[in-house]
Amino acid sequence: MQTTRWLVMRSLNAVLTMLGVSALVFLAVRQMPGSYADIVLGPLSSPAEKAEFASEYGLDSSIIEQYVRWLFEAVQGNLGTSLVSQLPVSEEFGLRLPVTISLAVMALVLTIAIGLPLGVYSATRGGSGGGAVGRLVSGIGISLPEFVLGSLVVFLFSRYSLGLTIGDFTPISDGVGASVRSLILPAGVLAVFCIAATARTTRDAVLGVLVEPHIGAAVARGESKAFILRHHVLRNAAIPVLTLTATITAYLLGGAIVIEAVFDIPGLGSYLVAALDRRDYAVIQAGVLVATVVFVATSLLVDLLSGLIDPRVSATKGGRS
Amino acid sequence: MTVAACLSLAACGGGASSDDATREEADGYLAVADDSATGAGDVSIQLDYDSVEAGGLDPQTATTARSWSLMSLTYDTLVEIGPDFEFDPGLATKWETPNPTTYVFTLRDGVKFSNGRPMTADDVVDSLERLISGQGVWAIQLDSVKSVKATGDNEVTVSLKRPQTAFLATLANTPAAILPMKEIKAGSIDPAKEMVGTGPFVVENHRQDVSWSFARNEHYWDADNLKIDSLDVEIVGQESTRLAAIRDGSADFAFFNNVDSLDLLTGTNNARAVNQQNTDFYTLFVNSQQKGSALANPDVRFALNTALDRQELADVALAGHALPTGVSPTTLPDACKVEDLPSETASADDTEKVLEDAGVDDLNLMIYSSEPALGQLAQVIQQQLEAVGVTVTIDKVDDGTYDSRAFAKQPADFDLALYWFAGYGDASMVSKWWNPEVVPAHAGFMGADPKLNSLIEKAGSTAAGKERAATITDLCARVDQNSEIVPLVTRPSVLGYRTDTLSPTLYSNEGYGNVLRNIVDWRVPAGE
Repeated sequence: MQTTRWLVMRSLNAVLTMLGVSALVFLAVRQMPGSYADIVLGPLSSPAEKAEFASEYGLDSSIIEQYVRWLFEAVQGNLGTSLVSQLPVSEEFGLRLPVTISLAVMALVLTIAIGLPLGVYSATRGGSGGGAVGRLVSGIGISLPEFVLGSLVVFLFSRYSLGLTIGDFTPISDGVGASVRSLILPAGVLAVFCIAATARTTRDAVLGVLVEPHIGAAVARGESKAFILRHHVLRNAAIPVLTLTATITAYLLGGAIVIEAVFDIPGLGSYLVAALDRRDYAVIQAGVLVATVVFVATSLLVDLLSGLIDPRVSATKGGRS
Repeated sequence: MTVAACLSLAACGGGASSDDATREEADGYLAVADDSATGAGDVSIQLDYDSVEAGGLDPQTATTARSWSLMSLTYDTLVEIGPDFEFDPGLATKWETPNPTTYVFTLRDGVKFSNGRPMTADDVVDSLERLISGQGVWAIQLDSVKSVKATGDNEVTVSLKRPQTAFLATLANTPAAILPMKEIKAGSIDPAKEMVGTGPFVVENHRQDVSWSFARNEHYWDADNLKIDSLDVEIVGQESTRLAAIRDGSADFAFFNNVDSLDLLTGTNNARAVNQQNTDFYTLFVNSQQKGSALANPDVRFALNTALDRQELADVALAGHALPTGVSPTTLPDACKVEDLPSETASADDTEKVLEDAGVDDLNLMIYSSEPALGQLAQVIQQQLEAVGVTVTIDKVDDGTYDSRAFAKQPADFDLALYWFAGYGDASMVSKWWNPEVVPAHAGFMGADPKLNSLIEKAGSTAAGKERAATITDLCARVDQNSEIVPLVTRPSVLGYRTDTLSPTLYSNEGYGNVLRNIVDWRVPAGE
């Protein structure tokens, strides 16, 4: 009962968050200088042409009227029409979202496959050379901006391709191998920060658990090191790592904007950047809404999983709600 | 100055490519397709941005060079522009001018649209009438047309209200393409959504901002000469990624808008980068319309203009690959000589005093983010004006903000702003943009000048030759003296291609930024 109430309250919070974000973004993009008419018609057009153009696209009505109209359509699944391509935004997103998801999933896989073991290794071999290497790698990864690393990778691999391609995205429908080859470099660059953050968080979480009294008791009982790690340490250290994973998922969507631009990948990120430049309002609005949904849904999922891993979490949250 | 000199990689001694980049394979041609190349295959092209127009895919309302390039693949014009800005037959095999206000075009036999219907004289008449009565920018260039009539099955006669020297040059650009007007009038084809022309290719697929796929137009009138089977055009925003594509061979041809790319491609196996001169040129807007601004004083604006060194801008900001220019693009016939401009011949001694007396010591210079060269030009201008006691703050904004502050606000919201204009195919065409009655958006930063307007009209209607050259010299001087839109240097294009997979034909000078011009002549080596 308590969990159901918690779920209802969290869902209500999520809806309110999405409404608030959509209203703020709607207002913000319309406060940006320059309209779609200014940009597309250019300086050689007359004010009358611009006014006629704005009227044609419903951009001359009040912001509140535009927002209510947009919201009414959005709740029915209609995210509007792109001013640039004249295609429904949902159709445009349908073409680009799988690209961004492929990129993000590959980066997430790399993050978990490398970041988690690196963090555990770094914590359990704290004093050794391996631990130092782990700390160094995570330090560099966290402090290196993606666009710097991305530009460097583009330059290096354009001269020495090593079988990998730059700026030539291949969808998974054209072959898994070719798709992985086309995405591994951008996904790798996108994952560097996440790997570093995951390794560092995992290391800190594992170190925190290792000094708990029950670990000492397990050692005293003569349990093996691998058993202790698997049954006592990792489960208890999982919650901060899981929370970080939710943040990483949102970060990957944001980071994809930079990476897609650097590597010229036709995903949602590069599409949103172009839409911002051109004041393609419907696209910006829908993009932010999708990002908010993903972030809110991921947070909700993590909270649920945290509760499963450690029942104290849901009980506490349920109590607060 | 050392800092300025090192703004560009090439200027810092990176480049041995200049000679090869400008070497002509024939007079007026940077590259000439090798006719012995017998391959027939696919060609992959990368461009920096896609066509984004208020009128969709309608060529008559297209305003940017990229739209003109892409649309020229499916549409043809009555006349074509040649390597030295002379005119070649297009859909018209010949034309006569019985008097300065009459043009009689003889249409090519056997021309069909890509839907298989033969082109008629009515298509030509209706296309031109639709263009002239429409709201596209190109209609402004054709405001001298009085009537267009079919005077025979294969003959169209155009009457002008007054002589227009640039008339053929105006017809040679993509907005003057001949459309399937019978279908457009019947409503079965919407040119904003569908491209049906008489050109070499048809569109198979277009994903906005991602790619275009073109296939051969089986009805093309010059199909025997066309050797390319299909054309893939990818839209790749990042210069570095386009460089990578030329280096690793994943693209056969690419456009670059940073002159440093010439040097970055140097030494790449099987690749060549060339510097194509454009009639396009960079300009500096000096806002004379802000209330209480010292820039309202023409002497102050002229003093700022005098402090600029165009040759240094070309050498440092654009690595020596650009040319100083007046309002008539330097590379065009009858263009004025930059060294004769009043600001070039005026004594610089008084400049600092004029600026000091007017209290001009701090100005902002607005640039926009999508044109990389503007940042380089802005930094050199900053140093040139610092030398006369003016501190310039560079204000870099996104394109939308720039358009709003420069063109939508009255008065415009800047002191100085950098921009560029397309220079087109005749020395008189671009000067129309110096009349704020023709371009109301310019009224936010410049005033009307009846004397300048009459010079613009005269330059447009005087026959090419000595007299027009003299008029254009006066026009350049007037623009220079007013110093509200100050022409600076030309805007070169860098074109890169794989020599092992493509043999293109490229002009040394281009009037409409059409980097895909002459694609029908391009050849593919055997085995590709």
